[in-house]
Amino acid sequence: MDMNKLVEKALNRVQKPGRYAGGEWNAVRKDWHNTGVKMAFAFPDVYEVGMSHLGLQILYSVVNGRDDALVERVFAPWVDMEEQMRKTGLPLFSLESRKPLRDFDIVGFTLQYELSFTNILNMLDLAGIPLRSAGRERGDYPLVVAGGPCAFNPEPLADFIDAFVLGEGEDVIHELLDACLEARRRGEGRRELLLRLAGIDGIYVPSFYQVEYNERGLVQSVTPVVAGVPARVKKRVVADLDKVHYPTRMIVPAIEPVHDRAMLEVQRGCTRGCRFCQAGVIYRPVREKEPETLLRQAEELLASTGWGEISLTSLSTSDYSRVGPLIGALAEKHGGAGVNVSLPSLRVDAFSVDLAKEVQKVRRSSLTFAPEAGTQRLRNVINKGVTEDDLMEAVTAAFAGGWHAIKLYFMIGLPTETGEDLEGIARLAHRVLERGRGLVKAKGRLKVTVSVSSFVPKSHTPFQWEPQNTLDELRRKQEFLRARLRGRGLVFNWHDPESSFLEAVLSRGDRRLAASIEAAWRRGCRFDGWSELFDLDKWRAAFAETGIDPGQYAYRRYEYEDVLPWDHIGAGVSKKYLVREHRRAVAGEKTPDCRGGKCPGCGLCPALEIRPRLAGGESVAPLQDLLQ
Amino acid sequence: MPRYRICYSKHGPARYISHLDLVRALERALRRAGLPVAYSEGFNPHPRLSFAAPLPVGSEGLAELVDVETTAPVARRELAGRLNAALPRGLSVREVTEVPENAPSLMAALDSAGYIVHVDAGDLPACPPADAVRSFLALDHIEVTRRGKDGQEKVRDIRPGILDLKMLSVDGDLILELRLKTGSAMNVRPEEAVEAFLRHAGLAVDRADLRITRTGLFAGDSVLSKQPG
Repeated sequence: MDMNKLVEKALNRVQKPGRYAGGEWNAVRKDWHNTGVKMAFAFPDVYEVGMSHLGLQILYSVVNGRDDALVERVFAPWVDMEEQMRKTGLPLFSLESRKPLRDFDIVGFTLQYELSFTNILNMLDLAGIPLRSAGRERGDYPLVVAGGPCAFNPEPLADFIDAFVLGEGEDVIHELLDACLEARRRGEGRRELLLRLAGIDGIYVPSFYQVEYNERGLVQSVTPVVAGVPARVKKRVVADLDKVHYPTRMIVPAIEPVHDRAMLEVQRGCTRGCRFCQAGVIYRPVREKEPETLLRQAEELLASTGWGEISLTSLSTSDYSRVGPLIGALAEKHGGAGVNVSLPSLRVDAFSVDLAKEVQKVRRSSLTFAPEAGTQRLRNVINKGVTEDDLMEAVTAAFAGGWHAIKLYFMIGLPTETGEDLEGIARLAHRVLERGRGLVKAKGRLKVTVSVSSFVPKSHTPFQWEPQNTLDELRRKQEFLRARLRGRGLVFNWHDPESSFLEAVLSRGDRRLAASIEAAWRRGCRFDGWSELFDLDKWRAAFAETGIDPGQYAYRRYEYEDVLPWDHIGAGVSKKYLVREHRRAVAGEKTPDCRGGKCPGCGLCPALEIRPRLAGGESVAPLQDLLQ
Repeated sequence: MPRYRICYSKHGPARYISHLDLVRALERALRRAGLPVAYSEGFNPHPRLSFAAPLPVGSEGLAELVDVETTAPVARRELAGRLNAALPRGLSVREVTEVPENAPSLMAALDSAGYIVHVDAGDLPACPPADAVRSFLALDHIEVTRRGKDGQEKVRDIRPGILDLKMLSVDGDLILELRLKTGSAMNVRPEEAVEAFLRHAGLAVDRADLRITRTGLFAGDSVLSKQPG
């Protein structure tokens, strides 16, 4: 049976065939036979999640913008589709041309969260591509690359991925494609191509490194075993976001995605320096875009997509120095056509509530704030520059401004946390509720939701050495909060600590976890980020089978002197800075945001030869090691 | 406000999107086309669109209908041209007509639809006997079971809703042409009717192997839309 027929047969038997049908507005279908290098962008989650991802839209547009290259999309098939594919032998195929993944030159995975790792193995398997790099040495298999946040600790996936791309992709993707074309022109084999790639800044080829372990079971060293391969691979950053390509002809998903709106990235990077936050490190430095650039891009985006909503995206949009005027200008220009502006995340202060008032004419939804911790002491430890006064001002402005529902995000299990900090979460929630009682007219609709997630130590952060709380501790803490967050107007939500445990294992893992990940996948683990499919028992069995104690990864406290599994991956900030930040955390000392002009000496600007940049051409002059 | 009736087809990749997603797709296409679409009042304004009948996911429609209101008159050809240029693959405008002011809504007018159902020879255990159609249509009652939204099974007689059935066979594939009641008064799904017919002929097929195309929409004897040719 031909491919199309097989696909249609499968599509008639699944819940949401639109996930696999393609043909969306602005999707690009190029001449397959006359395009030099063919890449599949593989998102290891369902269509609705992947299509909400800005990185996909960016790389899609960058690669398809070249005459000699094409990129097509593929998402993780949901379990019903997988069943059909396995039953009929239908290989994993791209949306645009319905070509089997095996026919591409490059398969590129994006690593957005650790709990998608088993989906990567599943997708390779469904594509008929050997799971391990070593198994792909012979045979004309696609080059398997991966990038995204989890590439900053690539080690658990090192055996499965041929090359990792570290940092921002807009520039390095061209170098990757050029290298593939050049290798082909010269008739080079796979190893020569990998050598070529290892020579590109920001590309890490794990098979060229050897890992030694010490008697304590820790990584002793990671050393290149091939000449000319760097001992440490540094991330790539785009210097000028106003000049770099931005996709304004975004693909408009055919079925409703998680975020169904145009995305306008106003800046990249956040330098607030929350000590648990990996994004704050890996997307450094802050680079704002000029309002003129944004207005032009907004206009093109709206015209080319027809979306009725545009979201100003970044890690912390209230921090964008021109956010007020930008919102005003967007409303003036596009409000008449019924276009809404939305803000994805709000800083905890009255200013942000004013912004929300400006963009949300109808107060339908709730406002969300993330104080993260319940006491000032702990907020200082994590360097969350938010005070209780800030929070109370923000919620007062929100209630007075017509909102009746507030969501508060907290983390439990943070380093140094005590019972008092947990009490503090409950106390804050009650105080916010009390304030609402005084201000909200429709008392019956007043609602304060407290959402609690569990701290996961992440690589490249000041808390990378810290252990995670045990599952029992986390459950006890949740119970403690649940008992105190009962009553009218209060809602308590918590994140399943079991999946946070697995996240911790994988996020600080090393190469020895490869066998466990594969074993978990063989036991049927898929979509581990989806609570209805997540099964820690299968994972436990997989760890046991492969002789791995997962607790050793999640609960270990590293010493500063220890070699960490990701030490050979450079996120730009120095380890010296992270140590200093960790010490300051324990001492409860805050570190200022370099936006204010005071350089905390993270070491990134000199290491990557870049500077923070604010709109209007202002640059925050980084001074070296001011706080040393 | 001017009202236009748009006859369009939904095929290829577009046939896999749900009715709700189709509404979203049209809203966006109208925006991209820059047409003076009238919006509903209220907090969450939407273009004033009214459809004849939702097409189930997976089915193809050759002459589907939607009415759209505009704030100013638009030449029919211009409307068709601009909208076509803004529609994703698998959706295309065939014809635009003006709707008289007091015309009933599409949903109220519609009472039957034409279908072609295609079954591949490979998915069919055997060909139905030549007189199967005649004897099927001679039945007084045709009972089918449908599971409702509440999960309860309900037995219904669909015979009054089967207006016509013809069997055409090409290359061993089975091709059935049906005219079925549709709309609020009585609604018969093509897969129900085909399954009942094949069961009557002593054949069992997998519902998922039926390729269903809605070819036209009717109000009594008058044609609301029909595939050309």
